[in-house]
Amino acid sequence: MRKRIIIRTALVAALILIGIFLYAIGKEHKVVIDNRDISVGDIIYSASTTYVVWVDNQEIGVIKKGERNAAIAIGISHKIVVEEIKSNVLTGEKHEKRFRLKTNESATINIPAMINNANEWIDKTNDN
Amino acid sequence: MKKKIQNIIENYGLPRIIIFLFLVFLFILTPFVGIRFDTSINDVIVRFSMNGILVLSLIPMVKTGCGLNFGLQLGIIAGILGAVISIEMEMIGFTGFFTAIGIAIFFAVIFGFLYGLLLNKVKGDEMVVATYVGFSSVSFMSIMWLMLPFKSPNMIWAYGGSGLRTTINTKGYWFHVLTDFLQIKIGNYIFFPTGTILFFALLTFLVWAFFKTKIGTAMIVVGSNTDYANSCGINVDKMRSISVILSTVIAAIGIIVYQESFGFIQLYMAPLFMAFPAVAALLLGGATVGKASIKNVIIGVFLFQSILTMTPSVVSNIIKSDMSETIRIILSNGMIVYALTRITRVRT
Amino acid sequence: MRKQSLTKTMNPGVLFLINYAVPIIFIILIAFAIPLSGLSGIYFIRELMIRLSRNSFLILALLIPVMAGMGMNFSIVLGAMAGEIGLIFITDWQIIGISGMLLAILISTPIAVLLGYFAGIVLNRAKGREMVTGFMLAFFMNGIYQLFVLFGMGNIIPISNSSILLPRGYGIRNTINLLGIRQVLDKLIPLKIGDILIPVATFLVIATLCVFITWFRKTKLGQDMRTVGQDNEVARLSGINVESTRVLSIVISTVLACYGQILFLQNIGTMNTYQSHEQVGVFAIAALLVGGASVTKANIPNVFIGVILFHTMFVVAPRTGKALMGQAQLGEYFRVFVSYGVIAFSLALYAWRKRVEKENERKKIMNYRKSILAK
Repeated sequence: MRKRIIIRTALVAALILIGIFLYAIGKEHKVVIDNRDISVGDIIYSASTTYVVWVDNQEIGVIKKGERNAAIAIGISHKIVVEEIKSNVLTGEKHEKRFRLKTNESATINIPAMINNANEWIDKTNDN
Repeated sequence: MKKKIQNIIENYGLPRIIIFLFLVFLFILTPFVGIRFDTSINDVIVRFSMNGILVLSLIPMVKTGCGLNFGLQLGIIAGILGAVISIEMEMIGFTGFFTAIGIAIFFAVIFGFLYGLLLNKVKGDEMVVATYVGFSSVSFMSIMWLMLPFKSPNMIWAYGGSGLRTTINTKGYWFHVLTDFLQIKIGNYIFFPTGTILFFALLTFLVWAFFKTKIGTAMIVVGSNTDYANSCGINVDKMRSISVILSTVIAAIGIIVYQESFGFIQLYMAPLFMAFPAVAALLLGGATVGKASIKNVIIGVFLFQSILTMTPSVVSNIIKSDMSETIRIILSNGMIVYALTRITRVRT
Repeated sequence: MRKQSLTKTMNPGVLFLINYAVPIIFIILIAFAIPLSGLSGIYFIRELMIRLSRNSFLILALLIPVMAGMGMNFSIVLGAMAGEIGLIFITDWQIIGISGMLLAILISTPIAVLLGYFAGIVLNRAKGREMVTGFMLAFFMNGIYQLFVLFGMGNIIPISNSSILLPRGYGIRNTINLLGIRQVLDKLIPLKIGDILIPVATFLVIATLCVFITWFRKTKLGQDMRTVGQDNEVARLSGINVESTRVLSIVISTVLACYGQILFLQNIGTMNTYQSHEQVGVFAIAALLVGGASVTKANIPNVFIGVILFHTMFVVAPRTGKALMGQAQLGEYFRVFVSYGVIAFSLALYAWRKRVEKENERKKIMNYRKSILAK
């Protein structure tokens, strides 16, 4: 009898864990990507050129100076790649960053800050 | 004391008592939520008169042991046919009304006869077969409404389409002929539909009288014990057929009275589920799958229609949202499920 | 044993016709309708494949209660509702992809078990009237579902994603976009032949279910169910708990229906919150009956033949209606009429046969008694 209860509780616990796992890796997050000037403390990073953006190997599009775009990221760990584009030709100047999002977080990424490796390149907000 | 309460609960069934108490509660609430007591009473009386005959139509079949008539739609279709043909013939007033009834009875007898033949072949499984026969016939008639050659401009689609409209207005033909007949006005808000109530009472009396006749009693015997009926020399199949025809005819009359009071004839898929509220009302009044009396009809229709009228108005005022449809679904179907799970004695 | 009395009095040709009356009539109907509709072969094949992958699981869920003698289980609608509740939650939480679908399955399973258990108990109290009761129960639960989804969600049950709520602030909208999990299982293992996408993964899942059902029949539980289905008394005497076996058959069926509905909706991509499950019962049962099943006997070929025949009719009816009468609406009504009519006809046929067999049994006993008395 005892053994049965233990096995059953273990099964239920396992299912709940699986549920949490699925929740985490399947959750949508909104990621906003800015190509704008941003001031961090005393330093101002300015947007200069146009970039093509990929999030998690999906092309989001072209973001010109001063514009913003949004992407949907699914799961926990993500990768953003920006490549400079001049007169419709990719220059080969790539920048890549990885970031993690907890289940209830969404993020805003600033390209100039990212390119200059500033710590504040990404701003995470808790949706709740 | 406790024993007495237990007795009452057993006799009337717990759900029924709960519903009755709930109803009393609602009536008490009316003045507090800003609804006029007398308009509510008026609504209840009018709806009672509208639906009464349809529920009454279930009695012959239950008494003869054919179960609850889930194939009520056949009678309804006969009634609709009578109504639209009467309008096609441009009959108005009482003439129109009674022509509709006359034609409806004609069709109802035919439908009832065929339906009865089918039911006789499937003794024991009448209810489930009836449900689907009812559904199929409504769908089939939907095809017919599109194709039958009706010409009256009040009934067919405007702009020269073919086929009848989904709802047809009875205004100008025989709308409220019964309701306004000898109407008694009480106060400012109560319009007692004397005509309709009298008509209902007349039919109720006829049904009651019928079951006191020789054929009627024979039918009751068939309903309680087919073997005994056989040994008395009663033709079981014939009695069942008669009960089915009777039920279908009364249902046909019932839907015409309903249309007269409601003001619209509803075609196509509208009658699809009409059997269920009628059956639920009957069960609410105390009937079971094998036993039903006129008392059940009156109590049942009153309770059922009151709940349907009172709950939405009261609840909507309190919760500020329209729950009436949902409550109607839960109530009527719940009653039927409850009744179906009561254990009845085994019949051959 | 019982079948012999009927078979002895009829030659095998007539017997075959009666047993398979429904599919035969259907094939004849379709043979007329297909050329009239003017639809191409490729269109058909693609439509049929989609419909096979979409509907088969749900219909397979009906097999187990038939085995246990519960007849056509109209309360698969309850399972469908459980699945939909799961989908509402994952849409609210914005979980997408295969994880979304799996999570929906995870959440809705306990709900389906609960509802199935409830349905099983109710049906046990209505022995002999399972089909009517199941049917009414489905309507009743629809009311409870509405109470839950139209009034409870957003109110008592926290929903954070306002895009699925009604403008008034609580209650779920009429249509929910399931874009997140749209065709997620279908496209899991992509295979394209020309223009047509073949939902390999879905078919694999269906195949697994078929294997499961076949295996289940041979297990002790499966055998118990079949015994209960054949004769309650014999089962009871063999020590089988008849009541709980029947309840279990409904629970399994409800859970399978829950998954079937999730599969169905993931293919379509949108959920009609209050309507998607309404016709599930009727169409599934009609399809099964068209495939040649009866109230007491249903097997896997019935399911697939039924889906093909029934859904061909479905696809063909509106066009044929338009070709014949100039109104596609006619075809719509015709579809509904055929669905209900098929069930009415099958049930009537079955009930009639049951009576005829009973009569023959009676006559046999009478004759036997007479022959003994005569000696």
